[in-house]
Amino acid sequence: MAEPMGFYTDTTVCIGCKACEVACKEWNQLPAENGGIRELSGESYDNTRRLDGIHWRHVKFVEQFPEDRSAGRWLMMSDVCKHCVKAGCLEVCPTNAIIRTEFDTVVIQSDVCNGCRDCIAACPFGVIDINPASGTAQKCTLCYDRLQAGMEPACSKACPTDSIQFGTIRELRQRAEQRVQQLHAQGEARAYLYGADEGMLGGLNSFYLLIDKSEVYGLPTNPQLPTRQLFPSSILSTLGALVLGLFGFVSLRKHRMEEIAAKRREDAGEGMGER
Amino acid sequence: MKKVLKEINGYYTDDPSRHLEGFDRLKDDGSTTCASWLYCGVFPAPGQNLSARKEPLPPGYEGAYNNWGYSWPANRRVMYNRASADLQGKPWSERKRWIWWDGQQWTGYDVPDFPVNKPPDAPANPEGLGLDAHGGNAPFIMKPDGVGWLYVPNGLVDGPLPTHYEPAESAVHNPLYQQQTSPVLKYWERDDNQLAKVGDPRYPYIISTYRLTEHYLAGAMSRWQPWLTELQPELFIELSPELAAEKAIQNLNWVKISTPRGEIRAKALVTRRLRPLTIGGKLVHHVGMPWHWGWQGISTGDVVNELTALVGDPNVSIHEGKAFVCNVEKA
Repeated sequence: MAEPMGFYTDTTVCIGCKACEVACKEWNQLPAENGGIRELSGESYDNTRRLDGIHWRHVKFVEQFPEDRSAGRWLMMSDVCKHCVKAGCLEVCPTNAIIRTEFDTVVIQSDVCNGCRDCIAACPFGVIDINPASGTAQKCTLCYDRLQAGMEPACSKACPTDSIQFGTIRELRQRAEQRVQQLHAQGEARAYLYGADEGMLGGLNSFYLLIDKSEVYGLPTNPQLPTRQLFPSSILSTLGALVLGLFGFVSLRKHRMEEIAAKRREDAGEGMGER
Repeated sequence: MKKVLKEINGYYTDDPSRHLEGFDRLKDDGSTTCASWLYCGVFPAPGQNLSARKEPLPPGYEGAYNNWGYSWPANRRVMYNRASADLQGKPWSERKRWIWWDGQQWTGYDVPDFPVNKPPDAPANPEGLGLDAHGGNAPFIMKPDGVGWLYVPNGLVDGPLPTHYEPAESAVHNPLYQQQTSPVLKYWERDDNQLAKVGDPRYPYIISTYRLTEHYLAGAMSRWQPWLTELQPELFIELSPELAAEKAIQNLNWVKISTPRGEIRAKALVTRRLRPLTIGGKLVHHVGMPWHWGWQGISTGDVVNELTALVGDPNVSIHEGKAFVCNVEKA
């Protein structure tokens, strides 16, 4: 296996140009929604709104301006599949269409996917959706085809400010740590890394440098695997079955006792009739 | 991208892995290759792309931010910066000092735009070649006589010193003096090119037009491109929540925008990025519109330049689309 590869996205230098979105669509030949005939979203400069089967890159725009405009900033962040080391989508896929590649990335094989949508619900980041052109679940492949040819993914190559950086996870984490220290030294104390260690789903192979709470960027603080409840829920199920069994036993016994009591009353009644 | 930058920076012809360190290395015998001498030095060695540097100075520290990106030529941030020091090489102002003569050489915050070892009292040598013909007190090294000119014999029609004029259409009177706009601005007098007077109550708002990264010029090429039109699908007008409330306009409502030249429609994009301005104690609202739309393509919309005036800057006739006045109503 090659060394784990991924993305480090430094949101502080994203300028919201969306070159990554277009480069992704161009390389992966993804269609524009409704042929490009759309309505204005009215949500800042974000008109594609989310990641889905035909949008594998998405630039978020967060406007933070107080009413008196005493301060203000326009946060931008290019979002993508996180290629989790412990990937929920991979766990639930019933056809094994979702695989882990030799680059430690997560790829959906379209020819094996049967479109069951289990992975869509399993992803804690809402990354996956059905591509209407293929009818199968699709998402970022981290340009698996380009990686196999020794090329970097289309989005990071197109990024003019190096907000999206591609490389080995080991090197990217070092670079990101240095950047956080640099920002702290410059007085931006809010800078921190999201998903750059094993604590979050075993590590995100696409991690982020953020300068506000993760929810502000639409990222969950504590993403969870769908299988996290497997052990407690199986215990609970067993306990539930035991309790139900016990109730059944008790009511059966009660029923039997009542039958016996009725029989006795009957027998006693018969005796009284003789008197 | 780095391959292109390497071509621009230049390299030694017999060993292209060696980049040129600066334009003083250029030779006219074919031993060096360079696409642009001005940018020579931006990429002095493989892996050393100076334009990608992002090292600011710490807050409060004075300097020229020389480790932030790169500026041509030779990473100088202010051209002719010898002029920041007096004839003896001392800063004209200690507070604004930039480069100075330390007795041995020119030094300071910025890269000196002057022969580093030429003392301020070096005499001019009329027989000398190149910069040797200039004395140590001649900062304007690209001029034949080495000094700055207030007036030029031809070319500029205004000057010599910068001043402030209001745009051809403005919501306020020029705060500096009676002359409202440039006396030499180009104006094409036509019935369909009327200008609103200062304070015209029919056109109370300032409007700026600008571009989006997703479209190119008037959009004649980019509005046929589905991947671009889904990113910016419709013409819009950005306005503050304050003005929107005043005019009962909600986000995404259709809005009618008018000037003395024309009237168009666009969807409202209500955002606090636009802010009401207080100018001379008066509250003035400001709206903004991208100008990439027209009537053909996948994405179509009204032509914003129907609002602008045919007014040109006196020297190069660039039209004035960044600031004029308009009215905004719910459509």
